Amino acid sequence: MGEVILTMKDIDKTFPGVHALDHVNFEVRKGEVHALMGENGAGKSTLMKVLTGIYAKDSGTITYEGKEVSFHNTREAQDAGIVIVHQELNMVGHLTVAQNIYIGREFRKGIRIDDKKMNEEAAKLFDRLRIHIDPTETMSSLTVGKQQMCEIAKAISRDAKVIIFDEPSAALTEAEIEELFKIIRDLREQQVGIVYISHRMDEIKVITDRVTVMRDGAYVGTLITKDCSKEDIINMMVGRVIYEDPKACSAVPPDAPVVLRVEHLNAGRMVQNVSFELHKGEILGFSGLMGAGRTETARAIFGADPKESGDIYINGKKVEINSPQDAVRNGIGYLSEDRKQFGIVVQKTVAENSTLANLGNFMRGLFINKRKEAQVAQQYVDSLATKTPSVEQLVVNLSGGNQQKVVIAKWLVKDCEILIFDEPTRGIDVGAKNEIYKLMNRLAAEGKSIIMISSEMTEILRMSDRVLVMCEGKKTGELDIQEATQETIMTLATREISI
Amino acid sequence: MEKLKQHPIVKKAGFNRIVLCGVLALMYLLFSLANKNFAGLPRILSALNYAYFLGFLSLGVTFVIATGGIDFSIGPVMFCAALISGFCLTSYGVPMGISLVLSVLVGMLFGVFNGYLVAYCSVPPFIVSMASMNIAKGLASVFTKTQTVSWPQSSAPGGWYRNLIKMGSIPVGLIIFLAFAALCAVILNQTRAGRYILCLGSNQEAVRLSGVNVKKWKMLAYVICGTLVGIAAIFFVAAYTTVQPGYGDQYNNEAIAGCVMGGTSMAGGLASISGTVIGVFVIALLQEGILALGAAKDYQQVITGIIVIAAVYADVAARRRKN
Repeated sequence: MGEVILTMKDIDKTFPGVHALDHVNFEVRKGEVHALMGENGAGKSTLMKVLTGIYAKDSGTITYEGKEVSFHNTREAQDAGIVIVHQELNMVGHLTVAQNIYIGREFRKGIRIDDKKMNEEAAKLFDRLRIHIDPTETMSSLTVGKQQMCEIAKAISRDAKVIIFDEPSAALTEAEIEELFKIIRDLREQQVGIVYISHRMDEIKVITDRVTVMRDGAYVGTLITKDCSKEDIINMMVGRVIYEDPKACSAVPPDAPVVLRVEHLNAGRMVQNVSFELHKGEILGFSGLMGAGRTETARAIFGADPKESGDIYINGKKVEINSPQDAVRNGIGYLSEDRKQFGIVVQKTVAENSTLANLGNFMRGLFINKRKEAQVAQQYVDSLATKTPSVEQLVVNLSGGNQQKVVIAKWLVKDCEILIFDEPTRGIDVGAKNEIYKLMNRLAAEGKSIIMISSEMTEILRMSDRVLVMCEGKKTGELDIQEATQETIMTLATREISI
Repeated sequence: MEKLKQHPIVKKAGFNRIVLCGVLALMYLLFSLANKNFAGLPRILSALNYAYFLGFLSLGVTFVIATGGIDFSIGPVMFCAALISGFCLTSYGVPMGISLVLSVLVGMLFGVFNGYLVAYCSVPPFIVSMASMNIAKGLASVFTKTQTVSWPQSSAPGGWYRNLIKMGSIPVGLIIFLAFAALCAVILNQTRAGRYILCLGSNQEAVRLSGVNVKKWKMLAYVICGTLVGIAAIFFVAAYTTVQPGYGDQYNNEAIAGCVMGGTSMAGGLASISGTVIGVFVIALLQEGILALGAAKDYQQVITGIIVIAAVYADVAARRRKN
């Protein structure tokens, strides 16, 4: 490890309603691999976005190569030598490898692009990295692993002195990860400073020199990898004081019937052989890090996405669910993660949105009974305390939390027996959050069965009767609420072996 | 201006529609001043006789645009319907009543075709309608062996169909058009079909995730459009009597312009039948007025084209401002 090349000091950033970065410190030395870890929402991505100029910091300093800098866009950061290799690769499929690497700064002979020179230079880069890739190959014909190496080559070609890897191994095979590590070690030898964002504990232990942990937007601490244990890191990631008491014990009687049974559900990489049961009146929390496959599992159960295999039983009877229509008909409701994209119809009113899942019940012959619609909508506006001047208000004019309540109302109007809430309180203020919690408890007490997908540890511990943890498409564990703690959940969330 | 927009009457009637009525009145005034013979109800009504078919085209395409799609085949399909049913009438001796029904049927079948491809096969509406357009033109040519079809005059047997436009001094066409417009408004605003069509135009995925069979309702929008296009064909031949194969495109733009001017958004989810009706009147009046000013028919086309761009641009700009 060499001298410090990059120092981020006291970085602070606030978005409306959320303090994303709270006086965060982070430093990178030349020739080191420095892991940046934390739960979802810890602020890792935000910190890197501030560094590379995507976001502007509110306060704090960034010192790079001894000078204070402030990048206004990624181009400036790249030109200075700070490059991110993103999780979602930004490659143009139909161009060649060399063309992708030099996109935007092609070698030219007069007005024509000099492909020959680009191929030669690209070959030199791959030599430096000791990778075997043909620069004339079309990008889309390469595997994801090889595409990622091209991104790395692209970074090197910009004379990058700091390379940030954002979840690099998520889409790679074992062999490709080995190759990636070889390259990272080479880069380290060449005194490049590397930031490695990942939640894979095993990899962190193998490839990194230091680990910095963030939590809830704040800097928690930095450890030397070989001197610390996985438990130490997990403790730093989750060791917060919870102000609300976690649920003491399950509210579900032991003889409660199984309302939903999912067996061997498979839907691509994100849902691998998932099986579980949901009892009547239960709130089953789905925990795990982002990208664990929870939403994908929910969508597969709901029929929103096609599945490869798997059986679904409702109240003991096998059901065929191939579309949301089937799911709704069988009494399942799904509140999606992204309400703006998937939950509300913006051009329509609160009343019209409320009846969307159950319009058949509001017909008088061929015509919609708008009076009944308004009445019922108003009922739910009252019982959910939705803040809206009237049910004829366009949903787009409501605040996020109230829009969420309208979507919840939609499923209540349908009177679903099984409700899947995907991140129900995301982007909602504390007051509205508590109201939604109260509502969920009420629904469970009335005998409805709820699956609650959440990335907020406190929420999972507060609301769930049982917790199911997923990691990279597999179910890694199930915990009763008594045995569920932040540590036990996080351990399961960062493990890839399924039980 | 903003305060004016918040006024309750303005909100109820729709700012867009009030502006449009204003434009209508202004145009009428200008044209009347320029040409003394322009003013007067009989003159207006006789001009409208040639515009009812456009009205039905606009009503039809309103449903398609409400789903966020587009249909460029309406003009050619109208011609195809008129040609096929007219050919059956004149060459195969099919009775007038049945020929009229046949026209509607042809339109509806094209609607089913377009709707199925867009809704169930996920082919982009732009491509489907372009292809349909060509199929309609070709089909008509093949069926009539490229002959022009002449529907009978009022005095000839079967000529009663021309009464659909007017009977003596009663503007039957106007009554029928407005009746259908009212029906369309009811469908769009009061029935499940209309509700789902508008919702899926605004956010198809949200509607699908609410357990609604979006494919079925999306296709229905195209079927409704096709049926109205088939009816439009009746009003076209009742006005012009002669139909030539290979034409029809020019009416696409006017129909879509009338629809968008009235407040229906090309992005889908927002549609107004009353707006479409007013928009159709504006276009009809515009064309008549240009003629009355002594300009050649070609100027009509240029100006209509400009109006289309202006109308759609206004819609796009309004949406961008809202975002």
